This record gives sequence, C-alpha cells and structure tokens, in this order.
Amino acid sequence: MCDPFRAERPAGMRPDARWFHLLRQFVARDLQQRYLGSLSGGLWALLQPLALLAIYAVVFVEVLKVRLPERVGADFVPFLVTALWPWTAFAESLNRAVNAFPENASLLSKVALPREVLVLAPVVSSFLVHTTGFVAVLVVLAAIGKSIEASGILPAALAMILLFVFSAGLALALASLQVFVRDLGHALAQFLTLLFFLSPVFYAPEMLPPRIARWLDANPMSSFIGAVRGPLLGMQDSAWSGLLLPLVFAAAAALFGWWVFRRLRRHLEDFL
Amino acid sequence: MSTPLLAAMRGVSKSFPRVARRGERLRALGALLAGRERLDSTAVLSGIDLAVHRGESLGIIGQNGAGKSTLLKLLTGVLAPTSGTVETHGSVAALLELGAGFHPEFTGAENITMAAALLGFEADELAARREQILAFADIGRYIDEPVKHYSSGMVVRLGFALVAARRPDLLITDEVLAVGDEAFQRKCIRWMEDFLGGGGTMLLVSHSMYHVQKLCRHACWIHGGRIEAQGDVHEITQRYLAWQERRIAAERGNESSAVGSGHEFHVASMAVNGESGDVPAVIDFGDGLEIDALIASRDGREPVFALGILRADGTPVYGCTSEIDRARPLAREAGGFRFRLRFDSLNLLPGSYFLRAHSQDPEGMRLFDTVERALVVRGKSRDFGLVRLAHRWEQPGQGDAAQ
Repeated sequence: MCDPFRAERPAGMRPDARWFHLLRQFVARDLQQRYLGSLSGGLWALLQPLALLAIYAVVFVEVLKVRLPERVGADFVPFLVTALWPWTAFAESLNRAVNAFPENASLLSKVALPREVLVLAPVVSSFLVHTTGFVAVLVVLAAIGKSIEASGILPAALAMILLFVFSAGLALALASLQVFVRDLGHALAQFLTLLFFLSPVFYAPEMLPPRIARWLDANPMSSFIGAVRGPLLGMQDSAWSGLLLPLVFAAAAALFGWWVFRRLRRHLEDFL
Repeated sequence: MSTPLLAAMRGVSKSFPRVARRGERLRALGALLAGRERLDSTAVLSGIDLAVHRGESLGIIGQNGAGKSTLLKLLTGVLAPTSGTVETHGSVAALLELGAGFHPEFTGAENITMAAALLGFEADELAARREQILAFADIGRYIDEPVKHYSSGMVVRLGFALVAARRPDLLITDEVLAVGDEAFQRKCIRWMEDFLGGGGTMLLVSHSMYHVQKLCRHACWIHGGRIEAQGDVHEITQRYLAWQERRIAAERGNESSAVGSGHEFHVASMAVNGESGDVPAVIDFGDGLEIDALIASRDGREPVFALGILRADGTPVYGCTSEIDRARPLAREAGGFRFRLRFDSLNLLPGSYFLRAHSQDPEGMRLFDTVERALVVRGKSRDFGLVRLAHRWEQPGQGDAAQ
C-alpha cells in the first residue's frame, strides 16, 4: 500500500548490457561536465578546433613562414593538423585517465562497479571530442582547397581506432599503477610533453638526420601519426601497410593494460 | 535448507595491506604483479562463514571496529576477500551507498540517471519508474536543482527512492535510517516492513538491538573480526547485551553508582511485568502490563512518574502521568519513590512498541530523565490500527427480534 513500486520488480540488465550502459553514462557525464556552464554548449567542441586551426595558419604560415621541404610533399597546416589532433586525443585521454581511481575513490568505496569503466570513460570522451574536432578541421581544409585524399579516409579512420585501443590499454595500466605510485600522474604529464617533441608532429621523419630518424620508429606514436597523416595527405604509396605497426602496438598495449589491471583490480580499493 | 541461498561467505578473511610507507606500496605492487597475493597486512576479518537465505533477514551486531562494515563491503563486492569466497545470487542493493555516485554539479534528475545505471536499471525501466521515484523522494522542484544545493536529508530521500524502486533481492543496510526527518524515516520503515513482508531479504548492521530484533530472524555477532555467535535473533542479541553489560560493569567498577544520577529526579530502575534489563518485554495480545519504577529524588521531594507508549515508528499511542491521575507513589524506599502502574488488559494490537518512562519534578513541569524499553505484543489480530477499542455490533436477534 505504501510501496508504489510493489507492482513488479525490475528485472535488471544482463551483465554486459549493464557494462555498456554504465560506460555510456560515465562518458555522457564526462562530456556534460566539459561543457557545463559554457554558453555555446556542445558547439564549443566544433568552434575550438576551428579557432585553433585559424591560429596555426596565421602563426606558422603567415608569421613564421614555415615551409616543409619539397620531398615531404605537403602544405604545413594540413601536415600539422593531421598529427596534432590524433596526438591531442591520445595525450589528453592518458592524462585524464591516469587519475581515474583516486578521482572516483568515494564511489569505489561504496558501489561495486566494473572498475575499468571509470578508466575507459575519459578515453572514450577524449577521442569523441577530438575526433569530432578533427573531422571538422578536415572538412574546412578540404573546403578551402587543400588536398585531402578521399581514399585515405578509411585507413586513417582505422588508424584512429587502433590509436584508441592503444590509448585505452595504456590508460588501464597507468591508472592501475597510479594507485600504488601516486606521483605517476605528474610524471606522465612531463613525459608526454617530452614525447610530443620526440614524435613527428611538427616535423617529418625525413627532415631528421638518418642516424636519429632510425630511432623514431621506436616511438609508437610515430607509427600512429604516420598511419593517419600518410593516407590523408596521400604521402604513402600503400596506405594499408602503414597500419601493421599500429596494429601490433595497439594489441600489445591492450594485452599489457588488461594484464596489469587484472593483477591489481582486486586490490585497488585497499590502496586508495 | 529449502529456501534459496541469496548470499554466502565461506571461510572469508580480509586483511588490509600496510600502505603507510612508500616502500611498502612499491613492494606490494611488485608482489601483486608477480602474482603473489600474500601481502604484509593487518587482518580485519577472519574465518567468516555466513549464509543468507531468501526471506530470512540477518542482523549483524558487534562493537565499533569489530569488522561489520568491512563485512558488508565484502558482500556488496566493493572489497575483495583476501581468502575464501563470497557469492551472491540475485540483485543486491545497499543503503550504505545512498547518494553515492551523485555529482554535486548535476541536478537531481540528471543524477537519477547515473545512479540508476549503477543500480542496474535499464533505460526504459528507469523511464517507466521515474515518476514513482520522484513521488517517493518528494523533494518537489529541487529535482531540477544541482545536488550541491540539497540538504543531506534530500540526498538521502532521493537515494532511498532509487533503492526502493530497484527492489533488490537482498537489501543491505547500515543504520542509515537515522537521517532525514521523522516523517521520511517513518516512510522508510514502512517501506522496509512492506519489503520484508513481501518476502524481501535484508542484512542489517545496527547498534540498536531493538531494530535488529524487530526486523531480523537471525543474528550474527562479530567480535574482533570473527564470528562470536550466530543463530536465532533473540538468543544472540541477549547474549550480546549480557556480554556488553558485564564489560561495562567491569570497566566502571565502583563509579557505576553515580551514573545517571546527575538529574535531580531520575529513573533508577524500571521493570516491565517483573523483568528488568534491556531486553524487549514480550506479552500476548490482551495480556496485562505492569510497570514498576523506582524514581530517585535528590532533595527528597516526591517526584512525578510519567509513562508513554509509542509505536515502533515513534507514533504516540498513549501516555499518562501520576500527577494528572493524582496518583501517589506506592512506597518510599532507600533508593527513591516506587511507582507501580497496571494496565489490566493492554489492548494494543500485535506489533512492536516501546515504553518511555520519565521522571518529572513534583510540579509535573519539567522532564528530568527518560528510560526506554521495547515492547512486543504477540498474537494474531485482524483488526486495523494500533489498539482494539471496546466496541460491540448491534445485530438482529438480540433484544427485539421482531423482524
């Protein structure tokens, strides 16, 4: 009589359905939080990258007069854009995911939930935001007559998916380790800044002296950037072979991340 | 057991690793990555065997720090056991997490969506129940305000409404009913009684033996991380209370005589049907009730004794005082003034009540002391309400049977 819910009890979801539902909720909350209180709301997600594009065009091309060597075969702005957005998605997702457990400590101490969801949510939302921005910027570049290869869209999209898997794997490992090594978050931010300049974002591998260029392959981000940039700007003969190395890196990161997380997940709560 | 098992713990132990120093954290990390689960740690619970069957509610009692909360966290899956197994069948929801997962910046409505996802609601299920949740929480227009503007009571209301909507197989609760206003508390208790009456199962951690006895059939006494005793709720709670009394008496030693006598007039002792001590008085429906109270008076003036009967949820049923009834104490003794109050036939309907004995000053103006005792009226009655009022039906065939 006093229980309005008496009628029938909700059946509840299947475990995997609950998992996806939860992930969606955390991603939605994360996106909402980014744009909470901003006037333009979601529109900002499009305006911000376009503003950035305009700034790069003015600063690098008009003011600094940056030109790529002839053999690279691309204009500087499309060259920069096709690496900068994938990089931003990668770096931001790691920087945000690494602190996922302490940030949600009060939730973790009260509710049993699949913990990996907390790590994956910032990775998914970072990739959503920056992939959207990336697409907007590419559309504008194509519209103003810069050559974006239509045939390169599919391999580039696959490379972005592999980059997502790579980031998610690393995020799982880093977030789990962070619970034990508290200053990992700070160290990671420094390391990513360093890695940014060690990755061919502002320069092409061909511009480096050969003895240094050899080492560039050891940086996974170099292969991911190549696999996105190459096909989109038509810089490679075969777009597909460039995906091999990213595939290996993504699989390795995913396996490593899952292994570390599996080993530590039962104990995270004890060390938080 | 024929009733299905809802939750079971077998040989469960839990130790918290030592994490104070940096080196210890790193060593623990190394050990875990190498696949070694044994860490340098402090045991909190050990050798716990526990079973909760459908429809058989279990009360967990014990002192602070005995490991009760850790046990609940193991059951809900928040913590993983160091050894042993924890299994649950069916849905488990815990009232300890009321408002957990609420984000202060988001509105109540937005937070419902997230909290429902945590509870395992499907999107369309939630849509169907949203109205009911809002009605139960009853926080009006605040639902569209950010949760940071809520009072703690409102957060609890919303949290409870969600759990109530989920209607889990096993409800785990940890004395959260002490929050919120009285009207809402009553609503929660009614919901719980209805939940239990409808075959729901509950695991209750409480310091109130009264609540445990009222709501649970079995009890489990945890002491120092181990199960001291488990079994029938009345037996276990009485053993626990007796143990606690002995412990307190031993601690206080001689000074105990001074306790409670800070008041000018205080209830020195109270017996219900000849029984003193902090166990519920149990009577059958229609039986009499005799209250025997000794009221101490510091200045030797004659105090007033007042007695109230309340339903378990706090609804007053009846009260009277020696001053209003112009009754005198039965006797003056060394310890104070003895009052004896008799109800020849207490027509309270079966259920749980409590008695409140008060001492007042001779003018009946000021209240000095209160002593509570639980009262359980056993029996079966199909009447409604709180009390059977004297009544009779006029029927044909009695007196004039002309027609």
